[in-house]
Amino acid sequence: MKKLNLSIIALLFLSIFSHAQTTADEVLKNYFENIGGVEKLNSLKSLKMTASLNQGGMEIPVTIYRTKDGKQAVEVSFQGMSFKQGVFDGETLWGTNQMTMKPEKMDKEATENMKLEINDFPDPFLNYKEKGYTVELIGKEDFQGTETFKIKLVTEPTTVDGKKEDSVSYYFFDTENFVPIAIQSEIKSGQAKGMISETLFSDYQEVDGLYFPYSLTMGGVKGQPGAPIKITKIEVNPKIDDAMFAFPKEEVAKPAPPTKK
Amino acid sequence: MKSKILLVLLFISSFYSTKAQNQKIYFGDLKARHIGPAFMSGRIIDLENHPTNSRIMYVGTAGGGVWKSNDGGVNFNPIFDEYCQSIGSIEIDPNDPDNTIYVGTGEIWTRNSISVGDGLYKSTDGGSNWKKIGFENSERIANIIVNPKNSKEIYVAVLGALWGDSEERGLYKTTDGGITWNKILYTDAKTGCADLAMDPNNPNILYASMWQFRRTGWSFTSGGNTSALYKSIDAGKTWNKIHNGFPEGDLGRLAIAVAPSNTNVLYTVIEAKEDTKKGLYRSDDAGKSWKQLNNDFGITVRPFYFSRIVVDPKNENIVVKGGLFGSISKDGGKTFKSLGYLHPDVHDIVFDVHDSDRMYVGTDGGVYRSLNGGTSMEIIENLPVSQFYHISVDNKTPYNIYGGLQDNGSWFGPSSSPGGINPGDWTSIGAGDGFRVLKHPTKDIVYSEMQGAENIWQIDIKNHKSKTIQPLAEEGYPKFRFNWNAPMAISENQPDRFYIGSQFLHKSEDMGNTWTIISPDLTTNDPNKQQQDSSGGLSKDNSGAENHTTIFTIAESPLDENVIWVGTDDGNVQVTQNGGKTWTNTVKNIKGLPKNTWCYHIEASNFNKGTAYAVFDGHTMNDKNPYAYKTTDFGKTWKSIISKDVVGFVRNIQEDYVNENLLFLGTEFGLYITIDGGKNWTKFTKNMPSVAVHFIALQKQTNDLVMGTHGRGIIIIDDISPLREMNTEILKEKVHFFKTKPYTMYETSNFGGHGGETQFVGENPSKQPKIKYYLNKRHTFGKMSLEIQDNEGNVLSELPAGKNKGINIVEWNYSMKLPKIAKGKTFTYGGFSSPNYPAGKYNVVLKKGKNTYKSTIELVYDNTSDLTLKDREFKQNTIMKLYDMNQELAYMVYEMDAIIDYAKENKKSKIVTKLDTLKNTLVITTGDNYVGSSEKQLRELLTDIYSRVIGNYDKPTSTELKNIEKMVKRFQKAKKDYQKIKKKVKFLDKLELKTFKEFIK
Repeated sequence: MKKLNLSIIALLFLSIFSHAQTTADEVLKNYFENIGGVEKLNSLKSLKMTASLNQGGMEIPVTIYRTKDGKQAVEVSFQGMSFKQGVFDGETLWGTNQMTMKPEKMDKEATENMKLEINDFPDPFLNYKEKGYTVELIGKEDFQGTETFKIKLVTEPTTVDGKKEDSVSYYFFDTENFVPIAIQSEIKSGQAKGMISETLFSDYQEVDGLYFPYSLTMGGVKGQPGAPIKITKIEVNPKIDDAMFAFPKEEVAKPAPPTKK
Repeated sequence: MKSKILLVLLFISSFYSTKAQNQKIYFGDLKARHIGPAFMSGRIIDLENHPTNSRIMYVGTAGGGVWKSNDGGVNFNPIFDEYCQSIGSIEIDPNDPDNTIYVGTGEIWTRNSISVGDGLYKSTDGGSNWKKIGFENSERIANIIVNPKNSKEIYVAVLGALWGDSEERGLYKTTDGGITWNKILYTDAKTGCADLAMDPNNPNILYASMWQFRRTGWSFTSGGNTSALYKSIDAGKTWNKIHNGFPEGDLGRLAIAVAPSNTNVLYTVIEAKEDTKKGLYRSDDAGKSWKQLNNDFGITVRPFYFSRIVVDPKNENIVVKGGLFGSISKDGGKTFKSLGYLHPDVHDIVFDVHDSDRMYVGTDGGVYRSLNGGTSMEIIENLPVSQFYHISVDNKTPYNIYGGLQDNGSWFGPSSSPGGINPGDWTSIGAGDGFRVLKHPTKDIVYSEMQGAENIWQIDIKNHKSKTIQPLAEEGYPKFRFNWNAPMAISENQPDRFYIGSQFLHKSEDMGNTWTIISPDLTTNDPNKQQQDSSGGLSKDNSGAENHTTIFTIAESPLDENVIWVGTDDGNVQVTQNGGKTWTNTVKNIKGLPKNTWCYHIEASNFNKGTAYAVFDGHTMNDKNPYAYKTTDFGKTWKSIISKDVVGFVRNIQEDYVNENLLFLGTEFGLYITIDGGKNWTKFTKNMPSVAVHFIALQKQTNDLVMGTHGRGIIIIDDISPLREMNTEILKEKVHFFKTKPYTMYETSNFGGHGGETQFVGENPSKQPKIKYYLNKRHTFGKMSLEIQDNEGNVLSELPAGKNKGINIVEWNYSMKLPKIAKGKTFTYGGFSSPNYPAGKYNVVLKKGKNTYKSTIELVYDNTSDLTLKDREFKQNTIMKLYDMNQELAYMVYEMDAIIDYAKENKKSKIVTKLDTLKNTLVITTGDNYVGSSEKQLRELLTDIYSRVIGNYDKPTSTELKNIEKMVKRFQKAKKDYQKIKKKVKFLDKLELKTFKEFIK
């Protein structure tokens, strides 16, 4: 009886103790361990994700490519044609004009801000100290019914309408699994400037020893969820040709050769 | 021993079970939507602009929180939703203006309907996150100033409590960035610090005005011998009165301003006893002596409401004074003219930091901008901070919401409108301050009123005619006393019946044309609370806002027309069970309620005629506790239904029509919901700010909860029906599907909406069918899917499953997969249409890990449609024929492309030419998606007619059918032509083609 009591007290003490000791680094350490380990994440070279974006009930098939050196592209297919959006080759950020279906470069500010994300593959928290980022455990917070660790991440300052601004986001790590279930950050430009954007994650599943969220929402603001994205397939370290990201010299699709009547 | 352990176990288990009952409700996807309106906006208290970046400004409102603009006032976003929405003062730290912001809560223009604050808040990230840093009991903070050379030195002027004594007032200072505070100027518990200014050249020089003031429910006093203007030259260590040149005797509210361009120039506005001595005073020697310059109406009007002076930062002779219309002087205060045409009641003005021609003005009706130094004004139309006193709803489709606004009249507008709820959707139905607005239950008649029932209108909204119908003085009766916000009520039993309350209950059986008094004086009739003639203090202020000992709420039982409840502002709860023949004051049966506490609302129950709810608001007696009670025996006994979860005094309660235990509580700091009759309350926060909820209505057809807020306009929670099923049993289930009504497949057009660039547009409800379920735990790891299936188990739609703990709401747009469309050079927009599934019952299948959960959802056709089921069948068959043709064509083109590719590679140019020629008639092969588009070919023509038939609410017309015939013929010919060419292709077996089934997958 006595023994039991003692062990209960010890357990209680331990749990209090461990709570008091939790730091952002511990949360991140657990996080990395749970999703496959730092070593494995560091050895990641590229990702290809097949997904569908649900826009007001319409399913849009997309394929997302990302590489360790910060290149990325989103390929969208419709009516047998495909075009790319949000493409970045490390230097140029570009997309496809929906009217002409021709590639167009994004503005300089957006491009410069994109360059800041080159070192964020596959996860901004990975090696954050070397990148000069800071993290801070704000505390435990109830995120819509789930107990979470709220962690503040400050990355390189971005440029907004010509002015440098701090780049701050808040990650909500589920205290049970130590994986993020949400990110919040301030929207920096446009009509929604000043509102808080919110991205939600769930359906973490394993591929080659790494865990990824297979379900997320994009473009939502706090309290108003964004468009859901459902990932159907993730390929780890696929070979991706650099041509995938390069700004095309000519038109994306060549017109059919003229025919004589 | 054993029994002892058992006892302990029992104790533990009972402890746990009570704990389980305390479970918070997780509302999940149930969220509030805001419909404004914003075009009349609401009361603004304080404007604050960034010291160097003229794009950034903050607006502090009376009841709608803090709004930030990053683009010079074109767009605003709310940044303070989780906290007290009544704002007194905003300060940007001049040393860190991009990040560090202070907000002092509690508005400072002390009118009767003012709210309360709950402390000082700080943000260090430009307003994204906030922390309360003290002054919990300050109630209202008039000014905050950070030393421009030292961020750690901050002064906070606390005006303090309005309705009682308080020692937490006066001027406070910190030198450690807000960790510790010292009270550096304090007179007594009745006198607060009303204004504060710092010499911008020397932060040790401060000016502070102290003001003695007090409100009760029935009076207001401004002024006393403790009101004074002080100066310190040693950063607040010592203070001296600077009254040289001031009028003798008691003073009232004083405003103070230092001219930034010449800090020897000061302006003050003085409230004094003698009219000739009131007005604007100027000092040219930093306060050593003062000269009176002006006592125009615009300068002296209502000091408690308008004591603000702002000096142009670049010119000490340009001075603006808040007021009824706002006044501007360009000759150093000698003469003034009114600001350009704007909403009356100007509370604050700021000049652009770079260009003094650009000004922003905060009024009772929102923020205005001037580009010409105040001569003309344009309103900012996207600040939805309107202040409703009351709202009601009707039974139309879509239903309308009726309500009255502080200083902004009475209105009604729709709960949804094509393209969103625009300013033009609102109809004005009353002038002055608007309060209760009620729709006649059956006729197109609306009742509205203005302050003190000076006018009560009966409005024929169809023919736009109105008449005034308030009861008039009657022989044998004393003068009627009407509350500022006088109660009106309609009957659910007799549509033409209409009630109004003075100290008596007035009843009309003919829509207000003839009146009968059906009660004695139901109030305490305390003569000490009827001296409004002498209200105001130094400046008489008898607007009627302090009228007291009046009836404030009236409720006829929906179950028995003879049961009528009446609550009064001086704390009586009266009930009659015989239509007014006899009355019983039941307030003495309410335990724990302080005497004379304002009965704010009585709700007669829908379940039992002896049951009613009464809520009380004690804040005008300096008591901010929540009070809500329920009786089931006509008031013989009352039970408190408040739990410790509720913060803020209570204004309103709404009982559900289906589940008696489901109640909604409107408090000064937001909405609370209980599912157990008031044992536990949970605050509703999803897209719902902590705003004062003055009135709640529950619309019976839609089950929408509609709230009239005093600061954020009308806020709606669509369809609260899932809450009816919530109980402790369901909260334990892993997955629980909520019942849903059959959903209508609406066929309304999408036209409508404009002005969204700069105008606030109210959000529409979603009309899509919804699958609603409860999860007792958030889903994070592993797969979770949600499918719609037919009875054979075929998957019709895969939906993005909600993963929240709590209520999940997933919409289904009931449309089929898009047809496979032939590949061309450009998109064919018709190809983005897809047919709807027909009306009927569908299975909902939720798979979570290894478990499967099932429910159903039902679709019904729009009953406004003339189409018969046969018409619908014909329409669907026509659409599916076109759907199939599209896919067939797509496959044909796919095959052709494969042949062309192979032929090109193998230099078989004859076939290439033949196929290209044919293909050019099938799909567009050149041009772009905009004005460079090419002549439409079969694919485009086919998708055009296909999407036209889908998009039309009607059955296919003969014109359409003829066109389809033409397409069929053209396609048949194309197929024949293709077959001819295909026959000659010798290498078909070399192509690796998908089958048709694979292709369309």
